Amino acid sequence: MTVDRLVDFAVTMNPGFFLIIAALLVAVAKDAFTRAVALIGGPIVALLVMLYPPVSGAEVSREVFMGLGLSLYRPDSLSLIFGLGFVIASVLGGIYSLHRRDRLQDAAGLVYAGAALGVVFAGDLITLVMFVELATVASALLVFATRTGPAYRAGMRFLTIQIIAGLMLMAGAAIYGVQAGTYLITGLGELWNGLVIGIIDPSTFGGMLILIGVGIKAGFPLMHNWLTDAYPNTTETGAVVLSPYTTTMAVYLLARFFAGYDPLIWIGAAMTVYPVFFAVMENDLKKVLAYSTNNQIGLMVCAIGLGSTLSINGAAAHAVSHIVFKTLLFMTLGAVQLRLGTTKASELGGLHRTMPWTALACLAGSASMAALPFLAGYTSKTMITTAAESGPGLLAIWMLLLFASAGGLMMSGIKVPFMTFFAQDSGKRPIEAPFNMLLAMGVASGLCLIIGLYPGWFYALLPFRDQAQEFLVQDLFSMSHVLQQLQLLVFAGLAFMVLWWFRLYPKEQPGVILDVEWLWRKAGPMAGRAMTGPLRRAGRIVSGLISAATGGIQTASRQVFAADGVVSRKVPLSATAIWAVCILGLVLLISLFR
Amino acid sequence: MSEPTEEPAMKAEAPSTEKVPLGEPGEHPLSVLLFSWMRSKFFFRVAMALLAAFGAVLVALEIALSGKAVTSLANMPGFFGIVGFAGFGIAVLSGWPLGRLMRRPEDYYDTRSGEAGRDR
Repeated sequence: MTVDRLVDFAVTMNPGFFLIIAALLVAVAKDAFTRAVALIGGPIVALLVMLYPPVSGAEVSREVFMGLGLSLYRPDSLSLIFGLGFVIASVLGGIYSLHRRDRLQDAAGLVYAGAALGVVFAGDLITLVMFVELATVASALLVFATRTGPAYRAGMRFLTIQIIAGLMLMAGAAIYGVQAGTYLITGLGELWNGLVIGIIDPSTFGGMLILIGVGIKAGFPLMHNWLTDAYPNTTETGAVVLSPYTTTMAVYLLARFFAGYDPLIWIGAAMTVYPVFFAVMENDLKKVLAYSTNNQIGLMVCAIGLGSTLSINGAAAHAVSHIVFKTLLFMTLGAVQLRLGTTKASELGGLHRTMPWTALACLAGSASMAALPFLAGYTSKTMITTAAESGPGLLAIWMLLLFASAGGLMMSGIKVPFMTFFAQDSGKRPIEAPFNMLLAMGVASGLCLIIGLYPGWFYALLPFRDQAQEFLVQDLFSMSHVLQQLQLLVFAGLAFMVLWWFRLYPKEQPGVILDVEWLWRKAGPMAGRAMTGPLRRAGRIVSGLISAATGGIQTASRQVFAADGVVSRKVPLSATAIWAVCILGLVLLISLFR
Repeated sequence: MSEPTEEPAMKAEAPSTEKVPLGEPGEHPLSVLLFSWMRSKFFFRVAMALLAAFGAVLVALEIALSGKAVTSLANMPGFFGIVGFAGFGIAVLSGWPLGRLMRRPEDYYDTRSGEAGRDR
């Protein structure tokens, strides 16, 4: 009976709380077994609660706080698929981190995952913003956990940008909630095809603030640099834990609040294209993966802007498959970082000789990301490109997405596995990754295959289930789609081989590539120095004058009060008597004329 | 005197009874199994030819299987191949001029002690 009551209580809790409780357990765990149970068991308990029926879009947990109606837990089919992605990422991250005991990273990683889960299952704007802020703090701790000078500074930049985004989101939510008269998500808009999405009007001030705040977290163009700055400064496990949540959470928020908002189509298309050019030049492969994250998130943003049932399904599905294959790719680079201490392409190559399992996992992640048919990326990306292709007046967008697909193959499809494990032999012979890392990579590779080969169960979890099943039956594995995708990849691969053969592929060179961060890392301090220069010069002059004046006063004082100074000189008694009479006379005169 | 000089020659002619490992010393057996064939002298040329042939087969299949008239770019035979080849080529070749324009030394964002930014 008590167990039943406990279960009844547990299923009314936002699943994110289970991960936060697991984080507390990890922080105090003294032995490896308890730590492992908390790291892996926490997400599994959250998953069980999530899958506990029914997922109806009703508010499961309703509270009143300071007179405001809050809904801590409101699951629907959109939140469920994103929640599933976060749980998968959390389990993979837990297994992957088992070799490295670091309380800060373990706890921060679980709190981060819990906060992300909390966001997708929050039923009101206030709860949602609180979880977003919690995720911000936890994610920054993952960057600080590297405990080096550059990581500390990158963490501070990361934290600053995330706090700005969080504050915009908070202010926007407060303004929008006051104007709408409610903070409950169900009260903000109408149902669209049975789902509460596209509920915020971005033309209002509050709505625009929310959009910008979420946009920073999604890595919109010119707001993307926190990704490429933070990821390379993490530990080998930090990037694996850091990569899946913030951007995916932003995709969820865009889908929930701004589905069908036309400008997102172009913003998303731009996000898919420009990272390709940066990734070609970049030498640090973790940065290449960060740019590739930008590229993939762009696909989802574009799909959300398209706003059809097919495209929203595509965005949600791609969010989950992206979590799986991008986590896998970060895991393979993490293994290389652990063994060699670097992820720079110019220092790597030929590692397949001693790290073949890691190389295989990297190839699986790359092929999945390139959307090779019968792998996870294909099942989700095809929905988005089909939605763009079938939309009226979207030829340019569709072409941009195709270009980005070819460029995406270059980024993590070829650059990461080829430069790390093949290409020129660096002469380095590191030992294979630890077993727990290989296990996590194996599970992620397996998921790429399972989602790709048997997408039925995966499609059944998508927000618009019937439309997803229809797409599965009619389009996904149609001969034309498979042939077209294979053509794209085979000819892109051929282009790579031709360019490599004729030595036209740019050599990997050490260096940093200028990006928007130049504005605050170089131009900002330079402008600051230029603007404060005259003030500093004036300050130096004034301080010189003051020190000259005080020096004069000091000298004069020394002369007056020194042992042989004026004040210390011996004075005759008669002179003292005369002075006393003069002073008394003065007092007498003053009192007379008063 | 002549015997010691003949001995190495005889040894060289004798068939070796030791098994020569396929890969490098210390190489993982899985790597030998899966990847050692890639180190063949002609691997790159053969792989390129195979890929080109596979691409041609894909285009041919598309032509053979599509009964529809070409009404849009999407169902033009070979269109995706052209986009893949050109898109990848443009992306990679852009790396040359962009790299010269935008690449800076690794310590570019570092500043000397006492300067604003205090990055070192």
